[in-house]
Amino acid sequence: MLTKEFLGLVADKSGLSKKETEQLMTTMNAIIRESLMDGKSIQLQGLGALEIKERQARTIVHPRTGERSIVPSKNQLVFKPAGTIKDEFKKL
Amino acid sequence: MADKLSWTDLRRVLAARAGVNEKQAAAFLNAIQSQLVEALKNDKQVKINGLGTFKVQAVAPRKSVNVNTGEEIMIEGYSKLVFAPEAGVKELVEKSVLSSAEPTAESEQPKEIDPLKKLGAQAEEIVDILGDLGQSPKEEVKEPEPEPVAVETVVEEPVVEEPAVEEPAVEEPVVVSEPEPVIVVKEPKKTHFLRDTLICVVVLLMLLLVGYFFLRHQLGNILQSLIQPNETELVADTTETALSVEDEQVEVPKEPAPEVELNEATENEDLENIPEGRIPKEQIMAEWMEASRSVSPADGKYPELITTEAMHEASRLTWMAKRYYGAKIYWPYLYDANRDVIKNANSIEVGTPIRVPKLTDLQLDTTNAETMATLERLQKEALGSGK
Repeated sequence: MLTKEFLGLVADKSGLSKKETEQLMTTMNAIIRESLMDGKSIQLQGLGALEIKERQARTIVHPRTGERSIVPSKNQLVFKPAGTIKDEFKKL
Repeated sequence: MADKLSWTDLRRVLAARAGVNEKQAAAFLNAIQSQLVEALKNDKQVKINGLGTFKVQAVAPRKSVNVNTGEEIMIEGYSKLVFAPEAGVKELVEKSVLSSAEPTAESEQPKEIDPLKKLGAQAEEIVDILGDLGQSPKEEVKEPEPEPVAVETVVEEPVVEEPAVEEPAVEEPVVVSEPEPVIVVKEPKKTHFLRDTLICVVVLLMLLLVGYFFLRHQLGNILQSLIQPNETELVADTTETALSVEDEQVEVPKEPAPEVELNEATENEDLENIPEGRIPKEQIMAEWMEASRSVSPADGKYPELITTEAMHEASRLTWMAKRYYGAKIYWPYLYDANRDVIKNANSIEVGTPIRVPKLTDLQLDTTNAETMATLERLQKEALGSGK
């Protein structure tokens, strides 16, 4: 499902106009992005949490040349589904 | 600031940003929550522009073995909810700085400064002693490398400071072992006695270790001079140092070439001329002090630039420091080099060109007390900016 369809569903459910929904959605995404930038994790109630995990630097070996190189450490976005949601989707 | 943005936080911020009341924001968020679940159940996939895609992913059934019985069992397939962030969001997160990682720079600093300050104090003591001997160290020798200086100071220590250096080693066992019998008298139990002696031994060992750490370089020379009561060793050393600084100091009356071979007989005569022997020492001290002063790492001048980088949305000084210098704690240098464009180090405008200066080894030396002090000072200044 693409964003537009989903926006329509949300607009129907919340009783807001499509325009308002769209504006709210972009604002929400901006807020989430900013929080992620600051290294904050975000809780989405009933869905789960968007968390930032630090991945440590590691060495890799090129399988053909045997060359070793270092993958620098970086942060990764991880979605951790809430327990209820996890169970709900298990059966699908 | 907590490092979590809760649902209620999100609602509040959203309402304020979008100019709607909290009720509407709450309705919107709740609709998202329920509709997302519904849509996922029907469609298995929901894309949200500007954030990413939520997907329901099937996990195939697989075989496994019961670890207790060795029996083969089947793990049934199931589905799980996954989220794939958009490329832009992913990149943003990679560059973000974990808020928990920030304070490490501050907590590291005091640890390293402490023991090294004592070295500085030692240096001052030595200078005081030399001052008492009647001559003021004035020679300014350009030799800012700390290591050769350290070796040279070691050389003269056996003569001027030998008692001072030896004292701690001799005193420690006496001081520490004193309480031992006292405790034994108070508590006659054997276990206590054992425990106390153990503690005493451990403390002693630790003190010795610390002593050894500080005197590591000096120990070899001191031991040598102790074993050989004859001062020939010392003479050799002093003349060597005298040689090394001879360019500035012509007072040492020696021929340049044969000295290196150390003719012991003539050397012994030279030692009798005490003032002559002392001059190089003073010089070395001056050299040392000068070196430690000129060492003071950042004067706000950075002659060479590695590059200039424009700030973008996810840039952080700490992160840039990590990329260019290898560790976040060097970020105050970036602030220092860009004071003219950075008004407030806590929020730098997007697009600001940041000059990345080349740092000397000394400026990157986290074991150097001066460096760490400078970093701390710069960091304080940076954090205080814009207030």
